[in-house]
Amino acid sequence: MNRQSLEPKNEISRGRLLIVYVLIGVVFLFFLVRLFTLQVVQGEDYLTRAVDNRTREISVTTTRGQIFDRNGIVLARNEASYNVVVTPANLPGDEGAIQEVYRRLSDLIDIPVNFGNTEAETVRNFTPCQTDLGISQIVYIGDSLAPYDPVRIKCNIDEMTARIIQEQSSDLAGVSIEIEAVREYPTGETTAEVVGFLGPIPAIEQDYWENLGFVANRDKVGYAGIENYLNDILIGKNGSRVVEVDNSGQILRNLEAPIEPVAGNSITLTIDTRLQAAAKAALVNWMERKSLQLGRPYTSGVVIAMNPKTGEILSLVSYPSYENNRMARLIPAYYYNQLNEDPHKPLFNHAISAEHPPGSVFKMAAAIGILNEGVVTPDQLINDPGKISIEEKFFENDPNPRTRDYVCWIFKSGGSHGDLDFLGGLSQSCDVYFYKVGGGYKDEVPAGLNIWRLGEYARALGYGQVLGIELPGEQNGLIPDPNWKRITVGENWSTGDTYISTIGQGYVLSTPLQVLVSVAALANDGKLMRPTLVKEILDSEGNVIKPFEPDMLWDITKDPLIHVYDENFFQTDEVKVVEPWVVDLAKVGMREVVVSGTAESIFEDAEIQTAGKTGTAEYCDDIARPLGLCVSGSWPAHAWYVGYAPFDNPEIAVVVFVYDGDEGAILAAPVARQVMEAYFELKTAEKP
Amino acid sequence: MLRRETWRHFDYWLFGAVLLLSVFGIVMIRSAIAGNAELATSPRNQTIFVGLGLALILVLAAVNYRTWASTTRLLYTGGIVLLIGIYLIGDAAFGSTRWFEVGGINIQPSELGKIILIIALANYFSNTMDDPHNLIWILKSFGITMGMTIWVLLQPNLSTSIVLMVIWFSMLWISGLELKYILIFGGLAVVVLALFLLLVVNGVKIPLIEGYQLQRVVNFVYRDPNATHGEQYNIEQALISIGSGGWFGAGYGNGTQVQLRFLKVRHTDFIFSAMAEEFGFVGTAIVMALLIFVVIRCLYVARKSMDTFGALIAYGIATLIFFQMAVNIGVNLNVLPVTGLTLPFVSYGGSSLLSLVLGIGLVESVAAHSQTLDF
Repeated sequence: MNRQSLEPKNEISRGRLLIVYVLIGVVFLFFLVRLFTLQVVQGEDYLTRAVDNRTREISVTTTRGQIFDRNGIVLARNEASYNVVVTPANLPGDEGAIQEVYRRLSDLIDIPVNFGNTEAETVRNFTPCQTDLGISQIVYIGDSLAPYDPVRIKCNIDEMTARIIQEQSSDLAGVSIEIEAVREYPTGETTAEVVGFLGPIPAIEQDYWENLGFVANRDKVGYAGIENYLNDILIGKNGSRVVEVDNSGQILRNLEAPIEPVAGNSITLTIDTRLQAAAKAALVNWMERKSLQLGRPYTSGVVIAMNPKTGEILSLVSYPSYENNRMARLIPAYYYNQLNEDPHKPLFNHAISAEHPPGSVFKMAAAIGILNEGVVTPDQLINDPGKISIEEKFFENDPNPRTRDYVCWIFKSGGSHGDLDFLGGLSQSCDVYFYKVGGGYKDEVPAGLNIWRLGEYARALGYGQVLGIELPGEQNGLIPDPNWKRITVGENWSTGDTYISTIGQGYVLSTPLQVLVSVAALANDGKLMRPTLVKEILDSEGNVIKPFEPDMLWDITKDPLIHVYDENFFQTDEVKVVEPWVVDLAKVGMREVVVSGTAESIFEDAEIQTAGKTGTAEYCDDIARPLGLCVSGSWPAHAWYVGYAPFDNPEIAVVVFVYDGDEGAILAAPVARQVMEAYFELKTAEKP
Repeated sequence: MLRRETWRHFDYWLFGAVLLLSVFGIVMIRSAIAGNAELATSPRNQTIFVGLGLALILVLAAVNYRTWASTTRLLYTGGIVLLIGIYLIGDAAFGSTRWFEVGGINIQPSELGKIILIIALANYFSNTMDDPHNLIWILKSFGITMGMTIWVLLQPNLSTSIVLMVIWFSMLWISGLELKYILIFGGLAVVVLALFLLLVVNGVKIPLIEGYQLQRVVNFVYRDPNATHGEQYNIEQALISIGSGGWFGAGYGNGTQVQLRFLKVRHTDFIFSAMAEEFGFVGTAIVMALLIFVVIRCLYVARKSMDTFGALIAYGIATLIFFQMAVNIGVNLNVLPVTGLTLPFVSYGGSSLLSLVLGIGLVESVAAHSQTLDF
């Protein structure tokens, strides 16, 4: 039954066709509306996203400034370091070719093609350059994070290998060499405590640095030393480029005029590396030698040498120190932990941050005080019987005074100093002399210097305050007074407190730098120079943009710094200066120390005329106490020596501190002499 | 065969619109390759395809479409043989086996299958116009459709299978499918879909459906906020491309999404987005209108056809073009999940163009022979 062949007829339903037309119309309209919404209504948003897609702001790395010593020796510079990187997206298309690239690369850089796994735990702990994973695993992790970003396979390869890889780049699709600037410290551990080291931008400061245009995980900032304190001068300013990129991240062109990076300024330090090395060697060798001789360990110490006339720090040794080159690329966790847990604190700058009792070197403050205040005359004789007993009064008219003995150091060996004048008291470092003039003693010294006035002279010499050296972590020490004791200890000030404060014991704390500056100020006739490490600031081309200028903080003979106290030891508004003759006599006293006093034997055959002061500061701290060393009568002690040379025209002031070094004359003074001799030897060698 | 009457009734409007779209396609592909060396030969290839395609239209137009009614059985068997052949020996490409290479041109039997199915169904429905339109009638047409579709599904090629099923349903409907069956089918479809979803949710592996196909659907329905790469990336970039076009577009060759290759598969599946970025709302609307015009023109030919067979062929081709166009644009506008369907006449590809020009050739034949009755 085929009607078509008989009578052809189009039998499709017109009505149904109409519905089809309507359906087509509806779909078409729907698409038009949708298209209109996307393109016209939301067009601006999508256009912005299209612009975002192809626009990328790139931070162009700046160059960090260099650090030199005073003779132009490089202490910190930037070295090119070569890293092998793989950009996962640029690897060949098929798996076989990728494996071939991996195998070639593996032969060149000695990293296995496959090692380890890519489990969640491994991926979380993955740190480029710090992994033993194989190439495939590293690339897998990189690919899953950001396929268009290069991932580091091996860091710090030698230049030769880097060149070979670059030459074979046609066979190593996706592999490239990244050149990274790495900080290098040619003098390493010798100057580490001064120069410091760099580290990645800490998470807590990320916003701050990013606002300044620095990039976390790429740019580094100073963590210690000059690198930290003068980071702003050294770091420079990153440049930026706004570029058009294609889908693979390839840069096509600049969209805006690029902002060039501004290189950081360089710094010339006042440090003389040769003297620094000599000072460190002198300290370490002497400590080791004495360790063997005396059969006890000496663990840490400080040497600082400074030009007393300008404040230039010539060397600053804090021992133990660390190797800052090991922190150059990244901070190795095990090394950092090792340093951090070392009880002798290598990361801690003992020269400026350690607060210890200064001991007898503090007597210089008392010495100028008693003369300037007229407590005694220079010729007045004070008797040292070796031991004195006083009634320990905690307040005026204390009804139950405790009687306590105060001994001179010489009394331990059974002796006494007898009658001493000012120079004798100072050069013999007679404790009883200073007890009596500091705190008063019966009719012999009816009114002593007193703690309030002692504090005035100590502060005038730089104690109890931050002096402004260009290093992080400088401490201010402590000059105690009755108010401080009441608040902190909860006890009244006693006469005995004044006695032991006068000889730099008890609550008095100071940093080695303060001790140095106090004597340097006297050596410089009362002019206290701010200790500084910075000689010059240079721009990136080496032009001096800030020349050296000595910075005098004050002159104790000219600036009225000393507050006058009334008879009840209330501070008055009156202020006064330290008389120049007092300073002169203090210098003569320090000269006597090396001629006829406590350091006589150490300096007896010295070619240069020096002056100085020894110190043996008894202490009891968190290290000594658990060891059971804090025994009354034979406390452990730190060794101090501070001195300068030449006596008549000082060029160098040196402080030596040996932690738990006991006798200052034995452990510290010989080191100071060696440092001074090294200084003059170097000076002679420089002359044509 | 090449009588003057043939060309008097030849639909020049339809041919003109197809020509315009095809040429525009070549132009757009030229922009869309965007410096990709692997695609450098695409515009030249497409020009050859279009040239051959237009010639094929003219040849087919000259042949009386009624010839095909008598050879339906042969065509249908041949089509299935080709599909089985590809299933057995075809090259594996992108995980699914789809084409034969004939003289450097890849021919997808499934594309030929679309046309063959339209002819076969047109033949069946026109012959059974006076039969009762009962379940037997429906099942027979379903059998014809599934005989072809099953091999496509086995490739596996889900999107073409869907196209075939849509053609079947559309032609069934125009041939007078009763409303009650539509309701029954609708209900059945809902139950099957629910069952399907239940199985998927419970993680049962369903044969013939590949993981990536499911993933596409999942991506469309539930957008993973962390999925910045892969499927989601492509559709995001397509939306950015379209949206950034604005009223008049970035201009030919100036679309940054296209030229900097943020837009993927931009010469085939996402050529609509490329066009939208470079020619804007106005240009895109014109191209869409041109496509709709081609569909309408086919339906016009169907309406003017002298017999049901010709009408059903023209109608079937109209369905094919409209459905492919609607799905492709729907994907680009992110109202449908990603499928592999291309934009008719515009997208790159000889194989998809082949079925389209065969279809247009048939429609032209119907138009050209609508006034002549030769038995």
